[in-house]
Amino acid sequence: MKRAIMHSTRFFMAMALALFGLATLSVPAAQALTCSVTPDNIPITFTYHGAQLAITGQSASTDDLVVTITSEPVDTALKNYEKVGGLVWMKKGTLEFKDAPRVYLLSSTADLSRILDAAELNRNLLGFDALREHIRIEDSKGNPADGKWFDEYLKFKKQENVYDMREGAIVRQHGENGNTYRVDVAWPYQAPPGVYAVNVLAVRNGKVVERASANIEVKSTGTVAALSKMAFDQAGLYGIMAVIVALLAGLGVGAIFKKGGGSH
Amino acid sequence: MYMYLPIALTSVNYLVVMGLGLSVGLLSGLFGVGGGFLMTPLLMMVGIPPTIAAATDANQIVAASASGTISHWRLGNVDFKMGLYLLIGGFAGGAGGVQVIKLLRATGGADFLIKMTYVVMLGLVGSFMFVESLNAMRKSKKASATAAPAAAPKEKKGGFFAALPMQTYFEKSGVTHSALVPLFLGTFVGVLAAIMGVGGGFLMVPVMIYMLRMPMHVVVGTSLFQILFTCIEVTYLQAYSNHTVDFILAIILLVGSVFGAQIGTVLGRKLHGDQLKILLSIIVLAVTVKIVLELVMEPSILLSYAGGH
Repeated sequence: MKRAIMHSTRFFMAMALALFGLATLSVPAAQALTCSVTPDNIPITFTYHGAQLAITGQSASTDDLVVTITSEPVDTALKNYEKVGGLVWMKKGTLEFKDAPRVYLLSSTADLSRILDAAELNRNLLGFDALREHIRIEDSKGNPADGKWFDEYLKFKKQENVYDMREGAIVRQHGENGNTYRVDVAWPYQAPPGVYAVNVLAVRNGKVVERASANIEVKSTGTVAALSKMAFDQAGLYGIMAVIVALLAGLGVGAIFKKGGGSH
Repeated sequence: MYMYLPIALTSVNYLVVMGLGLSVGLLSGLFGVGGGFLMTPLLMMVGIPPTIAAATDANQIVAASASGTISHWRLGNVDFKMGLYLLIGGFAGGAGGVQVIKLLRATGGADFLIKMTYVVMLGLVGSFMFVESLNAMRKSKKASATAAPAAAPKEKKGGFFAALPMQTYFEKSGVTHSALVPLFLGTFVGVLAAIMGVGGGFLMVPVMIYMLRMPMHVVVGTSLFQILFTCIEVTYLQAYSNHTVDFILAIILLVGSVFGAQIGTVLGRKLHGDQLKILLSIIVLAVTVKIVLELVMEPSILLSYAGGH
């Protein structure tokens, strides 16, 4: 009897060990998802022309990853062209795009539609189709506008380089330091100053299973900041300064030309 | 090569922007127009939001027209008296025009009317100047070699204008008009310019040539003198009320435009009045065609920021 119990205990222990081994092999998820951005602080100086960001971290080797960089959602008003009198295109009305991020840059390890279903994409606001469901478009009277305006909005934002999707752009490495990922993002100079959220989502079996995040702060500094502050806080003085500098430049160059013998 | 603009919140290639300033400044020195009708769309093409493009352009015209006015003044091409009357009229007209536009906008559907007026005005002014200066050039060719080239149009007196009170002699232009005439014409251009959202140089120049019968070179100098003051007012008001003047963008533009205005003045001195007129009419007609094409062709993106021409 005692022997039989010993036997079965060994059997269970062996089973448990085997299962543990299997589990560690199939889901090496013990490695927590991390995220860091370099640089995470982008100063806007006169020479600023966007920046090159590297988003890196560690993740489980088999998970797919999605990285998004977004701003807080805002309401954006834009003029829309319509055909007037059946002949000419004119800016006719105003459309309000509600709850739309100023910036939406997405990268992933694979095609979004392959790794997540539509419901999960919508729930996590991943991809342009999810944004289409999320952003409300209203005309100036508050009536919902036609869906075609989202396509135009997307074209508008893509042209400004502030909306972009790069499926398959995240590069993974399996080395001594564990499983790491990296994606390089060209930060558009058209994105206004502000704080932007970087979110990394780990996807397994069609579901988002883990998240990590970081922030990027884009901030005017030095003379750029001083001028922009002055334009709003001391608008009168700023206007006078703009006029005087223009006058002096015009008169000064006029005087130089005379000295140079430019006049007749 | 790139410079960040603190109010426009975008980065531009400063060599390109300086080049734009130089070319538009050249037109300004040559023809006495501010060039806003060219500059604002060009700035929008390099990514500047429309409201900032229009306001900052006014700031840069202050420099270009100051530079042009001073060199035209040295050449004796500025009729200060006429300029002052037109300016007073223009200020009153501008203020009135802003009220008219508010009323029109409130009724809705006025934008179509405004745009059409703009195109028709540009087309008419351009065609008229083109035909008129072409005829004048043909006549001067036919004239004997000893005859002076067609320069100042002869003063036409008589009729309604001559019957008006306050007849004044404008020495620099060599014309006599009632002071009410430039005041009224200034107001008229001011109203139209405010309604169309443009500086009005391209309207004021033909008005001075054909209605006030001023010689072309004095027209250019006097127009620049007038534009200088109008743009000082616009720059200040835009900076104060709308915060839409980008000082850095204006400086990059004016570095080009002040030199352009000087080159334009020197070039203009080498051309006859009719040659200047025909060149200006070709530019005005080209802008008209561009606007008509933009109106008729479907934009590639059907959304845009508010503002602009």
